[in-house]
Amino acid sequence: MRFRPADLLRRITTTLALLALPLITGGWTSGPQSTFDTKGPVAKSQLEVFNVTVYVTFAIFFIVAGVLAYATIKFRARPGTGEKAPVPDQGHGNPFIELGLIGASIAALVVIAVPTLKAIWYTYDVPEAERANAYEVTARGLQWWFQFEYPHEQIEGTGQLVTGNELVIPAGRPVRINLRTSDVIHSFWVPKLGGKVDMMPNRGNHLWLQADEPGYFWGQCAEFCGESHAVMRFRVIALGAEDFAAWLENQKKPARNVTAPVDAKPVLASYDMTPKKRNAPGYTADFDANPMAAWTAMQFPEKDEDPLLVNQGRKLFAEKNCVTCHAVRGHGASGVNAPDLTHFGSRTTLAAGLLENNKPNLHRWIVDPNNVKPGNKMYMGVNGMSGYMTADDKGRMTKEHIKVNDTEARAIVEYLHSLK
Amino acid sequence: MEAALQTAYTATDPAAKASGRPWFFTRPKAKTGLVSWLTTVDHKKIGLLYAITALFFFLVGGVEALLIRVQLAVPNNTFISHQLYNELFTMHATTMIFLAVMPLSAAFFNYMMPLQIGARDVAFPRLNGFAFWVFMAGAIVLNVGWFTRSGAPDSGWFGYAPLTSVAYSNQFAGDSSTDLWVMGLQILGVSSVIGSLNFIVTIINMRAPGLTMMRLPVFTWMTLFTAFLIILSFPAITIALVELMMDRSFGTGFFEVAKGGLPILWQHLFWIFGHPEVYILILPAMGVVSEILPTFSRKPLFGYPIVVFSGAVIGFLGFGVWSHHMFTTGMGTMATAAFSLATMAIAVPTGVKIFNWVGTLWGGQIITRTPMMFALGFIWMFMMGGFSGVMHSAAPADAQQQDSYFVVAHFHYVLIGGSIFALLAGIHYWFPLVFGRMVSELWGKLSFWVIFVGFNVTFFPMHFLGLNGMPRRTAVYDGNMGWNSANLIASIGAFILAIGIGIYFAVMVYTYFKGKKATGDVWDARTLEWAVPTTPPPEHNFHVTPTVHARDAFWYEKTHAKEIAEEKAKQAQETEAHGGIHMPSQSWFPLVTATGLLIGGLFFTHHNFQGAIAGGCIMLLGILGWAFEGPGGYHLHIHKDGSVTGGEGQDHANH
Repeated sequence: MRFRPADLLRRITTTLALLALPLITGGWTSGPQSTFDTKGPVAKSQLEVFNVTVYVTFAIFFIVAGVLAYATIKFRARPGTGEKAPVPDQGHGNPFIELGLIGASIAALVVIAVPTLKAIWYTYDVPEAERANAYEVTARGLQWWFQFEYPHEQIEGTGQLVTGNELVIPAGRPVRINLRTSDVIHSFWVPKLGGKVDMMPNRGNHLWLQADEPGYFWGQCAEFCGESHAVMRFRVIALGAEDFAAWLENQKKPARNVTAPVDAKPVLASYDMTPKKRNAPGYTADFDANPMAAWTAMQFPEKDEDPLLVNQGRKLFAEKNCVTCHAVRGHGASGVNAPDLTHFGSRTTLAAGLLENNKPNLHRWIVDPNNVKPGNKMYMGVNGMSGYMTADDKGRMTKEHIKVNDTEARAIVEYLHSLK
Repeated sequence: MEAALQTAYTATDPAAKASGRPWFFTRPKAKTGLVSWLTTVDHKKIGLLYAITALFFFLVGGVEALLIRVQLAVPNNTFISHQLYNELFTMHATTMIFLAVMPLSAAFFNYMMPLQIGARDVAFPRLNGFAFWVFMAGAIVLNVGWFTRSGAPDSGWFGYAPLTSVAYSNQFAGDSSTDLWVMGLQILGVSSVIGSLNFIVTIINMRAPGLTMMRLPVFTWMTLFTAFLIILSFPAITIALVELMMDRSFGTGFFEVAKGGLPILWQHLFWIFGHPEVYILILPAMGVVSEILPTFSRKPLFGYPIVVFSGAVIGFLGFGVWSHHMFTTGMGTMATAAFSLATMAIAVPTGVKIFNWVGTLWGGQIITRTPMMFALGFIWMFMMGGFSGVMHSAAPADAQQQDSYFVVAHFHYVLIGGSIFALLAGIHYWFPLVFGRMVSELWGKLSFWVIFVGFNVTFFPMHFLGLNGMPRRTAVYDGNMGWNSANLIASIGAFILAIGIGIYFAVMVYTYFKGKKATGDVWDARTLEWAVPTTPPPEHNFHVTPTVHARDAFWYEKTHAKEIAEEKAKQAQETEAHGGIHMPSQSWFPLVTATGLLIGGLFFTHHNFQGAIAGGCIMLLGILGWAFEGPGGYHLHIHKDGSVTGGEGQDHANH
């Protein structure tokens, strides 16, 4: 069979048409981290600049591509002549055409340059007029999670309010975020609210963004930061003024105490806990359907919580040395190497935005953290250890990883979920 | 003059050599077999060594890419671990840039540039061999990690501090992978700088009579610009790598945060090398395309001076845009604005080249042979990569695109659609010259279409992945992000691309052994490399050094056959009167010196300093031998019937 380019061309067109299908239905541009579905002025301004670049480059592309396609077809040598094709006029070029095209290119670039410059200044910091109204928070990157600090929310005897992996901000107000890191470079990126800015060691970066309406936003570390970079994620929750104030008030309180009635018997929390494969998904469709409702539900104590199990978990939390790294204000835990868990039960996600905060997921995370987030410090220990150094009865040092059995985990899960 | 030559000649009298020289200073004579390749100083053989090594690593990098795409084909995949994934993307980039595209360009520089300027070899033939063996040493150091416990380098091809520091790179294992990466890149830098200096000296000094600079073939011009970019940009990364090496091995604090070091400094040093590096990868490709388009349009390049000058402007501006890789590092408004505008400015000379290529086609007689198909594919794909580049230049838009799959799409359009397409075009174009065999048009075109389709199916969806918020360098993603179908399509495309590449190389291998014989100027070409007396070209390239009267020198020769024949006869007589064609002798010492560097480098990466010093001593011995083995050289004599006599150690017999 003779090879026919026309057939191939047809096949390519079909492929391209098929490729375009999901575009037409919008599936490729409307995910939870879509940069097209903007929800605030910074992202909007960036999208507008992008759109200008699209218009200009597409216009040039169609002109140049048109001429290129036309020339390729029009000036084809007669088939079969090959290297014996007639010799055309040996023209060397035309300086006026060149100069004209250079001029036109520069003009096209000016069209892009003007909005670019405007947006560079606009997106850099909160506009002067709104500075007084801006809310300030600090986001700190660590391998591989985010800590969020509220410098203006001081708690007596403790210092500023600190939370982890879920940044709650007021909606309709500019938020200035100081970007810090405690180890390597990370990057703070919530696509629907604005572009990323890196968290650089020895450098005080910042960005600003604003959520126009209350909402639930997906974010992710955007600078490669080591083994588990892929699973270093976070969320931003924007709340109306009243809700935000209520949230702050609750967060400033110490951890919730659950008192068990004297005659209560511990019931083992019943949820299905089959071991999960590495990288097994930790999200559910129900949650995605209305993440804000899910968030709101998390703010209240669970109806079926078992007070006895909660207190068992609280004891285990101390015995298992969780308190060395984690803080639970009011429960005697004040570690600073790991996320503050004082109100852990009110967060929608765990393991840095990776898994939804439900009991099976939390169980999975505690029992086998390395399977969820390889190289994490809960498994490996801090400061480059490969496991925790522990002494046995005879004083010999051994390296161990976290050890929580199934029963213990159920109690710790119940405890952590009680921390609303 | 005659007398002087005669004296010089007796000084290297082989009889004297035999008596007064120890065995280790005897120049190897083998013209075929392993020894001939290990000791070669022939720019064509070195070019082939570069090409074969580069293509091997191209396939290695390709396999790494396929593993990455398998992992990303479906969400929450467990095909490979996070750690292995990080090693794969680090080594995929490092391999493709330093061990595939750069050496493949170097292969063309080596093989074609001396032919294009009518020279018999490069200016420093032994140094040329040395550059290759040092390149091999660097390639081995970079890849040896795959076979060690600590694994391959895993901190990304731009190795941002402080992830490369002792504290963060070997958190959980005695890690030497980053040391290997640091050492490997330094050694490769040595190779690139040596090679480039050689090319610069060659182009400036060894052009055939009449070949003025403004008559140079565009590919040779691009070789020159690339060489300058390399010698000006590699010192920056070498400084950064030496500093990092000091941090890691001797406890200095250039990038150590705890010691007040500045990680941002690494980024500036890296990208002031890294951005010119992008042009180091693309300018040779532009050169190749600027040779192929005129040949298959059967007319000269449109606006030759502007194409040349725009190459120079790209090279120059290329040093002033590095911080567009750092728009999200919080540089402040002024710096961001300046680098934004400079980056837009560099689009102008790049656009000019595209206009001129279209102008070259205009009014021509276009013959769509396979090399031309790849060259046209290059223009289309490079144009798309260029336009997404303009989108990046707008810093506020880039804040969303930086480190997302949009960037991945962009640079693959430039590096595959650009560099690789052009280099594949070049292989097709020059295959008959290098091996004397024609590649089948049907299979060539088939491979082109499969590669073209596979490439676009792989990388076009990535634009949308990036704009839909998928960050690059992520080993897993969740299935609820709207990224599933685009990733699956990209992974399927990667395999189509792999099949295309497979067809391409299978056809090349087949053609090498069984292809139709081709002699001489198969494409009716325009530049001097096609003026060689036989294909493959003889060791001495040209029986008679050509005299150049115009741009597209060979086209001129073909249209002025009679005058040129007379001129050549005269030139031949003159050469013979001067003792014949002077050729460089082979030598073992480039290989010995590079081996010392390899041994020292490997020991150093494991912080074994005795071993490192031992390697250094071998290197020093190599250099001493090199210096004292004498200049060497022998003469060839072309006879009226076209036969060639003379060779290593035979000079005496002829006098």
